[in-house]
Amino acid sequence: MKKITTRFGEIEYDPANIIHFPEGLVGLEDLHDFIVMPNKKKGPLFWIQCVDHPEYAFVVTDPTNFFLDYAVPEPGEEILERLKAGKNSQLFVLAIVTVHPDQKITLNLKAPLFFAPESNRAVQVILENAPYDVRTPLPEVNASET
Amino acid sequence: MLVLTRRPGEGIVIGDNITIKIIEVKGGGIRIGIDAPRETKIYRQEVYDRIRQENIEATRWDMADLDILSDDLAGRTVKK
Repeated sequence: MKKITTRFGEIEYDPANIIHFPEGLVGLEDLHDFIVMPNKKKGPLFWIQCVDHPEYAFVVTDPTNFFLDYAVPEPGEEILERLKAGKNSQLFVLAIVTVHPDQKITLNLKAPLFFAPESNRAVQVILENAPYDVRTPLPEVNASET
Repeated sequence: MLVLTRRPGEGIVIGDNITIKIIEVKGGGIRIGIDAPRETKIYRQEVYDRIRQENIEATRWDMADLDILSDDLAGRTVKK
């Protein structure tokens, strides 16, 4: 087990559980290694903590929790290579969540993460031609449904 | 910044395996063709900058936010 000091205090993690971003995130290319942190609360959100730069952490979610029809194009070969994944490998798509000062959240559906559990690798891709927004608010729900 | 003047049909070679060609100049826009290895990431700058900015914004949250949001969103997900 290793220890790091994060914005949220000391965290102990098993290096075997690291998710490796070979290219970091867009504009944050130095952030390579993350661990998935269990959320104490139930619900669709969880967070990933950067290990090599412990001041960085992101809230993420499975976007299909909120957007059933969210569809990302099949990743091309160059993305599969970065993920060390094959055509039939299982891949998860995750969206980074932005928490705004009013505590509303938006999902970055324009630049989702592909995660390959087989290799524990992930990449952030930019869907330049898809009609998705960097700040997609959650769909409205009717009071009667909540 | 290196500044060069090119005409349509002319190009620029960057390093050993990136070639940029000016295709045409039309109505204030310039069409550019890029030959680069498949693994080279190429983005429109404003798109790249926007994602970068959002990634940085997304690092600004605290644990209280996550707790409150998780409570709000519990049961909020669509059924699959």
